[in-house]
Amino acid sequence: MAIKTLLYDYHLEKLGASFGEFGGWEVPMLYTSALEEHNIVRTSAGVFDVSHMGRIRLKGSDVPEFIEYVYTKSFKKIKEGWMSGPTLALNHWARVKDDEMLYKISDEEWLVVANAPYREKMIKYFKEVAKEKGFKIKIEDLTFKYAMIAVQGPKVEEAMEKIGAGWANDLHTLEFRTDVEIAGAKVFLISRSGWTGEDGFEIWAEPSAMIKIYDKLLEAGVKPVGIISRDTLRVEMGYVLGEHEYGEDPTKFPCAISLRYGLGAIDWNKKGFVGEEALRAYRREGVRWVRVGLRFKKKAGRVVPRQGYKIFVDDVVVGWITSGSYSPYLKRAVAQAYIDTRYAIFGEVVEVEIRGKRYEAKIEDFPLVPGRPVVK
Amino acid sequence: MSEITVEVKAKKYIVKTDRRYTKTDEWAKLEEGNKVREGITDFAQKELKDIVGIELPEVGKEVKKGESIGVIESVKATADLYAAVSGKIVEVNERLLEEPELLNKDPYGEGWIVVIEMSDPKEYEELLTPEQYVEHLKKH
Repeated sequence: MAIKTLLYDYHLEKLGASFGEFGGWEVPMLYTSALEEHNIVRTSAGVFDVSHMGRIRLKGSDVPEFIEYVYTKSFKKIKEGWMSGPTLALNHWARVKDDEMLYKISDEEWLVVANAPYREKMIKYFKEVAKEKGFKIKIEDLTFKYAMIAVQGPKVEEAMEKIGAGWANDLHTLEFRTDVEIAGAKVFLISRSGWTGEDGFEIWAEPSAMIKIYDKLLEAGVKPVGIISRDTLRVEMGYVLGEHEYGEDPTKFPCAISLRYGLGAIDWNKKGFVGEEALRAYRREGVRWVRVGLRFKKKAGRVVPRQGYKIFVDDVVVGWITSGSYSPYLKRAVAQAYIDTRYAIFGEVVEVEIRGKRYEAKIEDFPLVPGRPVVK
Repeated sequence: MSEITVEVKAKKYIVKTDRRYTKTDEWAKLEEGNKVREGITDFAQKELKDIVGIELPEVGKEVKKGESIGVIESVKATADLYAAVSGKIVEVNERLLEEPELLNKDPYGEGWIVVIEMSDPKEYEELLTPEQYVEHLKKH
């Protein structure tokens, strides 16, 4: 049985959400129309309930050493009150266990945001690592303590002004604050971040406080948006999802380099992290597959490229789709795919086979939506 | 009363009483000249959520009952459309190619998909009655 999001009753009774399962959680899939909700986030402001995201507190004198060991990024330059940017936890085959974001409260206190399906796996893994390596850390699961929302879209600053939290607009991208008050409600954490490619904030608060904030946001004209639009938005941006773009099984997923994650997620100057030997070996040998974006021609119509569909150049299979959607914003199909590096040339056209028919698509870099705003 | 509202797991679905149904959530409405107009039910469109595209069969095609005659693409899934009866496709709703959202907005009306000229009119009688379809939905 799926776990209900902490705000379940609110979504059902007040917002009339349609629910579905994601990562072991029952979450609001959509409120009115996923396509409309997608466009709201691209053009106005929407609020997602993302309380299913795993949130873990790491505390203790060995936390700095622990995170350098577990992740591919170096955290030495991260300042207090800032997020690390996304990074990867690898297994020994250099495949990705999870892509996560870390928040530095102090040297000895960090927060980790894990993907919903991997929360339990990662907590178990953290405990195993701590035991095996003798790291002194305390691991606390905050997932059931705080609800989490993401307010996203080009009009979020206006919305924050309207709810009396204009001060939050001074936060820089990836900066966060803890123990603040918004709309008269106690907030554990607010950060300038999100997963849509738009400007936005993520807020953690206890459920009763979060409902007050939700009410205020809705009054301010922010629209509730669901998990389906969150998925189509991330496909356009080239953000990755577990079991689609990455996974731990080396017979199903290429190594972490192929993910072409960017954003400094892998630091090659760093030594001594899990999966490092395999990762360096792949780097030296060269990788076979690389993740790219695909933009279908408009004349392909309203097809939806799904995971596993094959990609062709003439009669040669050169790759496969990992995620796809019909983009209501670009009015065409878009996808993420792994392509044989010899064929992975931006601007080149390949063919995707959908139910026996071939559709042309251009290989492009992410994001597939142009000119997303960069916040300060 | 021309429709029944059925509640399944706290969600409401409409079943029209002027037509028959399949277990695969298509409706079929008998028209003059042994023709059947076919579409998907309110339950089907709500399960699929936002429908973004459709592949239609060609007019003139002979189809067998239960055969896949089209594909519906939604943000959530790809679903087959099955022929409710055997016969010849005599009309398709080409409007859906440009406005697939009609399948969500008006599944029993403007969102009709095909018209089949039946080769065996007895097959229509074998389809689920509205009451039987309601019972079928309740099993979900």
